[in-house]
Amino acid sequence: MILNLEIKKLKRTGYLPAFLGGALLASAFPLANMLFRPETFTAMPGNPFDILMDANWQMMAMLNTLVSICGACMMYHTEYADHGAQKMDVLPIHAGSTFLGKSVIAAFMLAMVTAVEVLILAGCALHWFPDYRPDTAELLKNILGSILFQWTASLPTVVLMLVIASACKNMWVSLGTGVILVFTLFIFPQDNVVLSLFPFSSPYQTLATAAENDRIFLFLGVCAAEILVFGVLELIYQKLRRCVE
Amino acid sequence: MNIIETKNLTKTYGDFTAVSHLNLHIRKGSVYGFLGPNGAGKSTTMKMFLGLTRPTQGSFRIDGKTYPSDRVSILKEVGSFIEAPAFYGNLTGEENLDIIRRILGLPKSSVRDALELVGLSQSRKRLAKKYSLGMKQRLGLAGALIGRPPILILDEPTNGLDPAGIHEIRTLIKSLPRQFDCTVLVSSHLLSEVELMADDIGILNHGRLLFEGTMDDLKSSAHDAGFPTDNLEETFLAMIDEDNRKRGGRA
Amino acid sequence: MNFFSLVSVELKKIKRSKILLILLVPVIMMWIPSIINSDFAFDTRGIPITPENNFFIQGYMGMVWFMIPASLVICTVLLVQTERSRGGILKMLSLPVNTAKLCLAKFTILILLAFAQMLMTVCAYCISAALVSWIQDYNFILDPLYVCGNTLSIYAGAIPMAAVFWMIACLIHTPVFSVGIGLASIVPSVLIINTKVWFAYPMSYPFYLLMVQYGKAAEGMYDTRIDWMPWLPASILITVTALVVSCIRFGAAERK
Repeated sequence: MILNLEIKKLKRTGYLPAFLGGALLASAFPLANMLFRPETFTAMPGNPFDILMDANWQMMAMLNTLVSICGACMMYHTEYADHGAQKMDVLPIHAGSTFLGKSVIAAFMLAMVTAVEVLILAGCALHWFPDYRPDTAELLKNILGSILFQWTASLPTVVLMLVIASACKNMWVSLGTGVILVFTLFIFPQDNVVLSLFPFSSPYQTLATAAENDRIFLFLGVCAAEILVFGVLELIYQKLRRCVE
Repeated sequence: MNIIETKNLTKTYGDFTAVSHLNLHIRKGSVYGFLGPNGAGKSTTMKMFLGLTRPTQGSFRIDGKTYPSDRVSILKEVGSFIEAPAFYGNLTGEENLDIIRRILGLPKSSVRDALELVGLSQSRKRLAKKYSLGMKQRLGLAGALIGRPPILILDEPTNGLDPAGIHEIRTLIKSLPRQFDCTVLVSSHLLSEVELMADDIGILNHGRLLFEGTMDDLKSSAHDAGFPTDNLEETFLAMIDEDNRKRGGRA
Repeated sequence: MNFFSLVSVELKKIKRSKILLILLVPVIMMWIPSIINSDFAFDTRGIPITPENNFFIQGYMGMVWFMIPASLVICTVLLVQTERSRGGILKMLSLPVNTAKLCLAKFTILILLAFAQMLMTVCAYCISAALVSWIQDYNFILDPLYVCGNTLSIYAGAIPMAAVFWMIACLIHTPVFSVGIGLASIVPSVLIINTKVWFAYPMSYPFYLLMVQYGKAAEGMYDTRIDWMPWLPASILITVTALVVSCIRFGAAERK
């Protein structure tokens, strides 16, 4: 019921087109790279899929994060702009359910975007690397593994952004905070393990690098924990907000 | 002499007709009450006068000038107050007026003058977003009155005011033509209100002009048409009702 | 009324909007990692560059690539929103002002704000360079004229981009969308800077100018000459087109 309601609230906000646009734009990076300078990549040694992931994922992940920030702001802007949230507060629903509904939608959108991007990367690898002929099982494992890992690594960022957006009635404050966080964590060196586990930084980690350093389960575990922590944080915030306002 | 005249003024949005073949005649130096239920097209008409929306058909003249060619020179003569008051929330009431003053090129004293006229002098240093509904309304009015323009277009200026405020603003509007030698076009959905301040009235329903003339004309024509005349509010309601019935019958 | 008083009116409108604070935060955020990781400046990875130049270029890199464009996007939307949120634009349109003039006055504010941010950047650089010199016991402070000159040229290079963002904000009325498009357009500039058509993409101009400086400071790393020929006409054309379009479309939705 809640999910349905939340989806309805997003009607005519341009939420879905924003994510679709983001996914398409992000997918344009590997395509452009392969169209304009294929030799740079085909000459590299190693697994073609990993090469492409390495070359493009930073920017693709950044775009995903930016789109997710805009998405979170949009979601809560519809709540706050015309005092919709005030109305929701006086209706008999659990305070956290709005947030849960929004998180599920955002997570689903992120999954969709990630899937599109990973598929395009795999397609590029198959098309431009003539020697890359993995069997179906391996390819599927590669693709599904990447989608799942990349999705989990980005999820804490999305949830945290929703928490920020829910806390700021003024959309510009949450948007600005998001953009500054993206930037600040992007310029910190990625080889630092602790820093790379932070939201806004973990999305840049690729499956291949994590596997190399034997950190896949560390990442998955920490990201799952972060999501839980942010969820609880939001619940506490909702409780506090009701007491204070 | 008519200072504002419209000729078959029409505005449609897609297949919705907001204003249909309107012919208004507003005498110079009069208070013209523009009357109609919500959504009758009053605001749309006023927005067309201000160049905020382009007529689909027909034309209008304000003090001999036409839109769009004389947009800026029309706006120089018109003080306006449209719909929900428009202002900058991060500025104080005084600063909001100062912006308008500078654009109109008026002397500094005009801000104080306008604030005094609407009774906002006390709270001129407060942020506009912190104003109560009534104060926002007064600020909007001050923005229209600043510089004492020869033509005033006021869209439901007493909305959201308390009874005392309504009375005060009403008295102010009524006194304006005498005080500043100006013409006022004021809209309302209450006949009782228009009756107290207007010299002439025009009644609008679903974009069409049902009646135009003085209050006495209204009474006599209502009497002729068989509408109740002892209470003007009832006259108005009966006219609107009758029109709606006719429209319903046609559709 | 004349253009300058219109600009001063516009300046008054952004009072109490905390915009300068919004511009200051990224400037500070940008230099903190540089100060923390100041020993990285000595790690030139075999590139023939002096540590003080390395410190300057690395610090400015994030600025030109992301922070200047992002700040411009935020300023643009803030300027448009102060007009739209409480209907201020309706009042403006019903006052006797030329809409195009109004639009250009607002654009002037935008580039004035960008200028203010450049000043903050120079100050932040000086403070952090002094701080790092003290920490590392090595003189990181470059000639102030060199720093100011570079910052000015980067600023000039950012003007076409500002015009494009301004046009986007005038054309697209859902603020989240114009921000989204603006931010998304920043990301690919790192890619486009390495292609032959970089001059057609205004978001990469400041980055390009810094890269030329990088080329001068570290021999053989990048071009040291600016390709004025396709660039100058292209950037003028882009700026003028963007401004003309925004002047035509400014306030058009409110006058439908």
